[in-house]
Amino acid sequence: MANVVEFKNYSMGFRDDDGAVSNLLDGISFSIEEGKALGVVGESGCGKSMTSLSLMRLLPDAAVVQGGEILFEGKDVLKLSDKEMQTIRGDRLSMIFQEPMTALNPVITIGSQIGECLVLHHPELSKEEVRSRVIDALDSVGISNPERRLDQYPHEFSGGMRQRVMIAMAIINHPALLIADEPTTALDVTIQAQILDIMKRLKGESGSLLMITHNLGIVAEVCEEVVVMYAGRAIERGTLAAIFDNPMHPYTRGLMASIPTMHSDKGPLPTIPGTVPTVYDFKPGCRFADRCPHCKDICTREAPQYRWVGDDHIVACWLYEGEGDGNA
Amino acid sequence: MTRYVLRRLGRGLLTIFVSVTLVFFIVRAMPSDPVSLMISPQMSKAAQEQLMHTYGLDQPLLTQYVLYMKELLIGNMGISFAKRIPVTELIASRLPYTLVLLAVVMLIVCAIGIPLGVYAATHKGKLADRIISVLVTVGISIFIPFMAFLLLYIFAFRLKVLPTGGAYTPPMKEGMAFVADVARHIVLPALALAITNFANAVLYTRNSMIDVMHEDYIRTARAKGADEKRVVHKHALNNALIPTVTVIGMQIGIMVGGATVTETVFSWPGIGRLIYDSVNALDYPTLQGTFLVMAVAVVIMSFIVDLVVARLDPRIKLGD
Repeated sequence: MANVVEFKNYSMGFRDDDGAVSNLLDGISFSIEEGKALGVVGESGCGKSMTSLSLMRLLPDAAVVQGGEILFEGKDVLKLSDKEMQTIRGDRLSMIFQEPMTALNPVITIGSQIGECLVLHHPELSKEEVRSRVIDALDSVGISNPERRLDQYPHEFSGGMRQRVMIAMAIINHPALLIADEPTTALDVTIQAQILDIMKRLKGESGSLLMITHNLGIVAEVCEEVVVMYAGRAIERGTLAAIFDNPMHPYTRGLMASIPTMHSDKGPLPTIPGTVPTVYDFKPGCRFADRCPHCKDICTREAPQYRWVGDDHIVACWLYEGEGDGNA
Repeated sequence: MTRYVLRRLGRGLLTIFVSVTLVFFIVRAMPSDPVSLMISPQMSKAAQEQLMHTYGLDQPLLTQYVLYMKELLIGNMGISFAKRIPVTELIASRLPYTLVLLAVVMLIVCAIGIPLGVYAATHKGKLADRIISVLVTVGISIFIPFMAFLLLYIFAFRLKVLPTGGAYTPPMKEGMAFVADVARHIVLPALALAITNFANAVLYTRNSMIDVMHEDYIRTARAKGADEKRVVHKHALNNALIPTVTVIGMQIGIMVGGATVTETVFSWPGIGRLIYDSVNALDYPTLQGTFLVMAVAVVIMSFIVDLVVARLDPRIKLGD
């Protein structure tokens, strides 16, 4: 099947006030097939959001692209003009953000904010058609009484309702790829479950999904494939089963071990000692070396290459040198 | 809404009452005596007392106050000590000039200041923004009388393209010729008066635009595929204007009487000039009248500002 999106050895970083550039994302590669859902997991600050913003070409001003390609429907988005990018955004490619409380414009009605996606990409639609499609979209994300609600402003909606509005906005043009950047993080647990239900239902109906999250439970529920990120590198990727049943990278293993299950002992949950390095103190070699229980000499000197360790499983770790096919 | 308007009206009247009372006593606390300015020593004793009586100056202070408030309620602001005509008439003849001057100032501030602020914000850090920022700082910190004299020196004295003062060149002309004449006279006072407000408007619009452009909903708008023009005009400007409108609106209210220096330098026959003349002549009724006009202007402007802000920002409910 064709890939909707493909990251090829993509790198980016930040320029500080003095003009010095520090690298964050380093050689990210992964792809999403049509109709599939991919989860990107990792701790805060590991570059998950920068990955999705790179694809949207909505990076902050200080960001610098350092290399690689991001193919979306066969075209490299890094080479598109602003105008071409605007025709893709919100139509073929759309995004749900983490903070529903601030992601909506406080002085514009919900109806015209959602309708704007249609107006921008389908100027041929009449006012009545836009209105009725907005009502349908609100209805499909479980907002009751949409005819009345669409003339209201964001402050009249709760956090969960605003996230539904964001979802309605993102799916109204039936995008080929929907990016959801921590869509449930800012919500309380019962609302999280409802939003997840909506996302799962939509997944069946629309195109592909890129789910950015630090919640492994969400990945297990929604996604078919997983990329585990650590400090700007995609350290392990594979199918859901491969990653969850047979985690290879010491970091992924640490993550899996720290999930409480029904069978967990009564003792304290295992944790990974130390903290994620920031962009300013990345060292040569594997970025996880400082915290890795299996750290070898070479780990602190050279960054590990990607290696196939199964039919659908890739890992970047010196532990598996000599196994599999080598460079993937 | 009706309840809101009534409550606002009540509060406005209270503000005006307090200000009128304060002004009444402050004016009388000035270390001078209007009687000695008004009454020449050559007058007979009887004539002096007659004049004192006519203006109520022979009454005790509190009686004067009660009398003044009573007359004010029926719209009588008293007789000017200096001009010997009713204060209402005097103010009515001056107010239009101040309002015209203010209208021109506001036009400059809103039509040029706000777009310039938006331009600076969208070109943040570029050369144009830096130049604008420097000029704005100069505009805010400049001493207005200095600016006024500088303008007079350049345009009236050196280049001789604009008149030095007044609102028109006598004799008063008719129709369009009069309008054109006033327009020529208004340029310099309007420029001098606008400079600080203009700089403030640019600064407020710029800073508030820069803040708004970093909001999450601006990113959402871009994510929808909106182009930069639409992002700025549809999504950012309305939000950025809310604080700017509040500041500009309150400035207008204050300027109705606050243009004293500018109006005096350019001999512009408005309320500000009237305040200056009345202080010199110890003209209590006129001073009280002009300050009353100022208080009313501030109350009205703050009401209008509230309405406009409520219109811009749906989160503000006027009902409660």
